[in-house]
Amino acid sequence: MNALLAQFLAEAADLLAQVDEGLLQLEREPGDPALVNEVFRVAHTFKGSSGLFAFPELTRLTHAAEDLLDAVRGGGLSLDSGMTDDLLASFDLIRGWLAHVTTHERLPSSAAGDAARLITKLRAPLGGEKAQDEAAAVVHVARRVVPAWLDHFDQRWLTEASTWLRTTSSRMRFLRYTPDQGCFFRAEDPLHLVSEIPAVDRVDVVTPDSWPPEFDAYACLIGFVVATRAGVGEIDYLFRYVGDQIEVVELDGEAIRRHLTGEPPTATPHDPELVADAQAVLAGALRCLTLGDTISGTRLSATAHAVGAAARALGEPVDAAEADPPELREIVTRLLGDAAPTEAEVPPRPAIEMPADKPDRAHADDPGGQVGTKILKVDQEKVDHLMELVGELNVAKNGLPFLADAAEEEFGSRVLSRRIRDQHAGLHRIAEDLQAAVMDVRMLPLSVAFNRFPRLVRDLGRRLGKSVELTVHGEDTMADKDVIEALGDPLVHLVRNSLDHGVETPAERLASGKPPTARITLAAVADGDAVTVEIGDDGRGVDPDRVKRKAYQKGLISEDELETLGEADAVDLVFRPGFSTAEQVSDLSGRGVGMDAVRAGVAKLGGTVTMKSEPGRGTSTTLRLPLSMAVTQVMVVSVAGQRFGVPVDLVQENIRVPAAEMSRMLHSEVVVLRGEVVPVIDLARVLEMPWTPDPDSDRAILVVSLGDRRAGLLVERFHREVDVLLKPMEGLLAYAGEFAGTALLGDGLVLLVLNVKEVLGLADRVS
Amino acid sequence: MPIEFRDTLATLSGVVTVDEVDQFAGWLRTTPKARVSLRRCRHLHTGVFQAMLRYRPKVTAAPTDPFLAVRVLPLLNGGISGPPPARHRNATS
Repeated sequence: MNALLAQFLAEAADLLAQVDEGLLQLEREPGDPALVNEVFRVAHTFKGSSGLFAFPELTRLTHAAEDLLDAVRGGGLSLDSGMTDDLLASFDLIRGWLAHVTTHERLPSSAAGDAARLITKLRAPLGGEKAQDEAAAVVHVARRVVPAWLDHFDQRWLTEASTWLRTTSSRMRFLRYTPDQGCFFRAEDPLHLVSEIPAVDRVDVVTPDSWPPEFDAYACLIGFVVATRAGVGEIDYLFRYVGDQIEVVELDGEAIRRHLTGEPPTATPHDPELVADAQAVLAGALRCLTLGDTISGTRLSATAHAVGAAARALGEPVDAAEADPPELREIVTRLLGDAAPTEAEVPPRPAIEMPADKPDRAHADDPGGQVGTKILKVDQEKVDHLMELVGELNVAKNGLPFLADAAEEEFGSRVLSRRIRDQHAGLHRIAEDLQAAVMDVRMLPLSVAFNRFPRLVRDLGRRLGKSVELTVHGEDTMADKDVIEALGDPLVHLVRNSLDHGVETPAERLASGKPPTARITLAAVADGDAVTVEIGDDGRGVDPDRVKRKAYQKGLISEDELETLGEADAVDLVFRPGFSTAEQVSDLSGRGVGMDAVRAGVAKLGGTVTMKSEPGRGTSTTLRLPLSMAVTQVMVVSVAGQRFGVPVDLVQENIRVPAAEMSRMLHSEVVVLRGEVVPVIDLARVLEMPWTPDPDSDRAILVVSLGDRRAGLLVERFHREVDVLLKPMEGLLAYAGEFAGTALLGDGLVLLVLNVKEVLGLADRVS
Repeated sequence: MPIEFRDTLATLSGVVTVDEVDQFAGWLRTTPKARVSLRRCRHLHTGVFQAMLRYRPKVTAAPTDPFLAVRVLPLLNGGISGPPPARHRNATS
């Protein structure tokens, strides 16, 4: 892929997130000008960058969104949720397109249709009828207003041109092109663009009044004014990507002459409201003059005065003060007659209108010119690769103790052995620091996972007709990127569940004496080497009896359990596969795959999910996840001479039990541990390995706990704990569910790490 | 190499791109009485053009490229207007 496009796509993701966030905030605080400006600017940047690539639909759609935002910014329009929906929908559509672009490097074929539909919607609040025109034209042409920049043309030439145009009663298009300061960085070459304009009559350059003392050769400070006979369509086409940087006017000789003779253009000629007002005044005056034939005295002078003011506002001053009614009528008719093409009198686009924004934009466009801390954007794969290398380094490092042993035992050199161990200690320290540093790079704030929720809650809330406020705490808590990525789906599920099942409608809430707006809380807390995320709501809570009845109906629990299950255990039933309490399956949640998928997903990360609920008061679900999944601590044990790893998180204790204390209960071996009966699973038998314990020696039992289940694994020998880089089972080994993955040990042996859950399941089946 | 520097004379040839901007501007800044030959130049990047506007070197040889000769050269010679307007009008209208 073209590097420029790749960069655009990378930036686009950030921009889209900013737009989403900005729009949502804006809906809450509609009047905030800083926010409107922010969103507008992002949309503007987006449009600007999109113009670099041949995605006309993208440019057009962002242009429409930008116009709407511009109107909001200008105060002419207040943003309502319908508009916000349209804007969000536009940016969603764009997000979809960009995903398509990422893989196919072009927009999907449906783009034009989708865009047209949304553009019409976006333009509707702006006065829909000019939608089509404006959407298509990048350049707006003003006919009446004589801009001050005409002075940049050579005056002698201008005078001659004016005479010629008056003699021939023709018009010419005048164009002012003010390239963006950072345009060189976007591979734009303004002079080249100017050279492409056909039928050019005159080019003049606009240089800054004074050059900055530090001349930056890469900042474009100059602009051009061009007089051309090229059609608007041609100009439009040439400048399609920099439409916001040009101003075009079409002038006749008379207008230029008036400009040259210095009849002062009062007020600001390119204010469309002013023009509209002036025309309204003129129309009123005309009605006045035609209706009342005998208009005189103060009335006449007032009318004449109004006409004079309106004419000045239109940039065509007339001497109306002494005119009698017929003269005045003529003047008004002429002024109004010229104003016929009103719809074209839209002012030129932003670049000129918002000088305050310019420095900002120059910064944003300036690649590498970051203000503040320097941030490197690094491809995720590179960091992953670095992590892998750190793992390899650890493995290589772990080989040294074996070498030291060999030096001592095989070669009889205790001194050499000690020196190797010293080296190992030094290397170990560096490797640990390196690992910590790389892990740190991979750490991301949880806000990455939380970001999508304000939007999700808003959208779902609106669809369900529920009023919900989302509060987020601890979004700056850091966790490994893998954890954050994996957290996304479970969180979405839980939040959806809260919205769909937990939170009541405003009416229900009022009836039960709660405020109509429900509250959903997302809170993250770092907790040692784990992170805890809590999703809470103040909804109706889980009714344990209803859950039990439902579970019984679905055959998930027996009649006994229905009677005996405690409230906490009943709530936990929602995590059972096949459980769904929703009376109706909605498209949001409630397909009955929700909560057990959440628990399975979190368990896969080595985490846990618990749910607490108070009927009528709300539900809170707590996810607990390890901060990092990149390095796993495993306990090494061996069975039949073969070593296996067991994740340390799951290990409760290692015990040695005299063979005589083992007892049998219900066809399986058990051991009594501090008054509790723990079933013992013979790992060798489960894994079908030929080994029978020596009847005289003590039994080595590794007690593991998985959720609420405890079990002892009978093994041959305990070894030490090691940090390993777990590689998933792939290829030919992928079918072996009883193993979570493989890891390389320091002595070069491959360690199979057990998937304890599967092993326990397998044991159940074997017995 | 689109730009050849010799003492106080820079000879621009072919298409001068943005890659030359920095070096050229630097040369102009440090070279008093710089002279530039545009004879064989077919296109000037805006940055190069801007640097010439900033430091106003003497243009020793006019370009043969029509756009550069008719439109750009007059701007470099201090904004003195180009060929008489009457001639253009005939040429372009």
